[in-house]
Amino acid sequence: MFDIIKKIVKYPRLTNNYPDKALDSSLFIGSPEIDTDKCKLCGECVRRCPSGAIKINTVSNSITIDYAQCVFCVLCEEVCRSGAAKMTNKFELATKNKVILQKSPWVIDENNIPYESQALDDLLQSKIKKTLGRSLHIREVDAGSCNGCDYEINGLNNPFNDLERLGISFVASPRHADMLLVTGTATRNMQLALLKTYAATPDPKLVVAVGACACSGGIFRDSYATNNGIDSLVPVDVYIPGCPPRPQAILYGILKALDKV
Amino acid sequence: MSMLELKSVLAKKFAECISNYTLKNSNELYIEVDSPVTYNICSYIYQELGYPLISMFAADEKQLINSYAVYYVFADRQEGLLLIVKTMVKANKMEITSLSKIIPAADLYEREIKDLFGINPLGHPNPKRLVFHSNWPDGKYPLRKEFNLKQKLDFVQEKISFQKVEGKGVYEIPVGPVHAGIIEPGHFRFSVAGEPIINLEAQLFYVNKGLEKLCEGQSIEKCFYIAERISGDETFANSLAYCQAIEKIAGITVPQRAQYTRVIFTELERLTSHLGDLGGICLDTGYGFATFQFRMMRGWAYNLADELCGMRFLRSVNKPGGIRKDFMVGKKSILLKYLQKIKKELEDTVDIIKSHSMFIDRVENTGILKPKIAADLNAVGPGGRASGQCNDVRKSFPYAVYDKLEFEIPKHYNGDVNCRMNTKIEECFTSISLMIQAIENMPEGKILEPVTRVEPYRFAFGMTEAPRGENIHWIMTGEHNSIYRYKIRTPSFCNWPALCHAVKGNIVPDFPLINKSFNLSYAGNDL
Repeated sequence: MFDIIKKIVKYPRLTNNYPDKALDSSLFIGSPEIDTDKCKLCGECVRRCPSGAIKINTVSNSITIDYAQCVFCVLCEEVCRSGAAKMTNKFELATKNKVILQKSPWVIDENNIPYESQALDDLLQSKIKKTLGRSLHIREVDAGSCNGCDYEINGLNNPFNDLERLGISFVASPRHADMLLVTGTATRNMQLALLKTYAATPDPKLVVAVGACACSGGIFRDSYATNNGIDSLVPVDVYIPGCPPRPQAILYGILKALDKV
Repeated sequence: MSMLELKSVLAKKFAECISNYTLKNSNELYIEVDSPVTYNICSYIYQELGYPLISMFAADEKQLINSYAVYYVFADRQEGLLLIVKTMVKANKMEITSLSKIIPAADLYEREIKDLFGINPLGHPNPKRLVFHSNWPDGKYPLRKEFNLKQKLDFVQEKISFQKVEGKGVYEIPVGPVHAGIIEPGHFRFSVAGEPIINLEAQLFYVNKGLEKLCEGQSIEKCFYIAERISGDETFANSLAYCQAIEKIAGITVPQRAQYTRVIFTELERLTSHLGDLGGICLDTGYGFATFQFRMMRGWAYNLADELCGMRFLRSVNKPGGIRKDFMVGKKSILLKYLQKIKKELEDTVDIIKSHSMFIDRVENTGILKPKIAADLNAVGPGGRASGQCNDVRKSFPYAVYDKLEFEIPKHYNGDVNCRMNTKIEECFTSISLMIQAIENMPEGKILEPVTRVEPYRFAFGMTEAPRGENIHWIMTGEHNSIYRYKIRTPSFCNWPALCHAVKGNIVPDFPLINKSFNLSYAGNDL
């Protein structure tokens, strides 16, 4: 018992203050970006990108990275001969609209993107926030990930992140949940389970897609056993890119769904 | 037995049945056998020579030899040899004789081959579907070359039957695929009478992504990134196995500095994984203090990974031919600092949990995996080593520079949760020691010998010791630097049946604890 008390005294508080205090991200490898001034549109990165996330538009002569598909593998930086593709340390990439992710890095203005039923969506959002108040209960569903995202979600419970300080907690059943945190491509064998879990979650509910697989199918796109992202099955409120996204990136996405960041 | 002796023994015994001997990559002996005698030769190798079956797979080689081929992989772990029996299966006679009755480990492989290729194992005791669930239509076999990767088949409605246990008071508890914790999906069907579990049937493959098919025809560069994503927390072990196979095929010698760096990352991954497992065991016994101690240490291990390469899961560190970047330049002091800190804290925490009688009471004699069952099912990794199966790829098939470093393999014989926990604790200390040895002895020099092209239709094995155990990849290259067939056998595939045996006779509330003590990967099993 004495040893335990000693340890508690030794490590009184490890939890970081994210998102109130920004995280030192100098070491992180985050999203890639392409410098349009330097890019010669040679297409090398487009050919070699393992998840097919980089696309050249031959009409407008522009190049884009689809963050929903990107697996953050650093290969574009490596193969770029003109030094245009560079990895940044940005990790807070969650957005509510997939189009923003697809048009990165050029279209960043979230408010100017028209999408269907924006007004209805806003109404629903404000209702959800009112209903949920300050506490949020989350059910995690692995619909076919490589388990990387799941370990990072687990990481939200560790002493460094301690999700419960924000009034957010994980629950054991979808029937107790306000939000589904879905990882993976929604495989053929998990399809029914995902739909049933969604149906079992009481309204109003939020769905957050975690990781490249859940956003778009990622590197496992277009297989006989997978879907290209969970939004082909259930409506998604927030997309969190990354392969896997860091615990803080997931936290950022969860808070984004609640409009707290 | 050396390779030559083995060859002469086989030649003497089965002279007329073996049509071809091929020695590849210094330790892989391939023998080609006519299908009627495969059963006899395999049972001879297993029973008389005592080589375990460590992998078994099929390949669609219609373009090459006008038939399908089935490979049975046996290992001599003392000598570090692989003996591969290859048999042809003609398209008009899609069947093999089942070996499951004499080699229990063959059971799942044969069912897998049946689902993916449609090769029927005659005489199989339980030829139930494995990879596909009831929604899959009959007569569709994705790993045949004519199957189109992108086609989406219709869902059919059939019922899956589970093993039925009958008797007074026997009832079933279905659990999953969506679980209460933050874990991967799988369905468990317990047959229970009162509290003790009589039988457990695990239905897995919920996260099957068709990964092996996805790799076929793709460039070796792209497949490397898929290999990294086989199982998230075993990223480095899987990418290293992939790289080793490609390097063997390309005939490349990896520079020494890269080899030492690979040891550091392999061991860092093992340390991270084991610390998480130990935390999980404590969590499932309701021991909050210890859980958070281990989670804190795991957090430090992740911070160390960030310091070294900027990727918590060690992705994009490896590269066929070496490593991507010289990650260890100027990192020695920070690595040693972190390792000392983790080691000190681990020692303290282990002292505390081991002096806690209620905790020990809970883990001791819980979930015993008997050594005989472990051997029959080829249980690998900490799960096997806790049951007297002292196999470790780092010793039996040394890769990177493990033959130059000093370390011991833990040995335990009781096979309970306590033994698996102790195995993992000891391995954490071993990993720390190996990392220190590697950074101290690391030479200067090149870090990458790039793989520019590979010859078509060459094949090789890549073997690593992942945190969960023996990890075997087999690659056959295709034309234009592509992959023709990629077979992945992760340790989880071997250990799932072992886990189902270990829970028998235990009470249902102990299942999470036993499950955590193995901590198997669903993604690595389902592919």
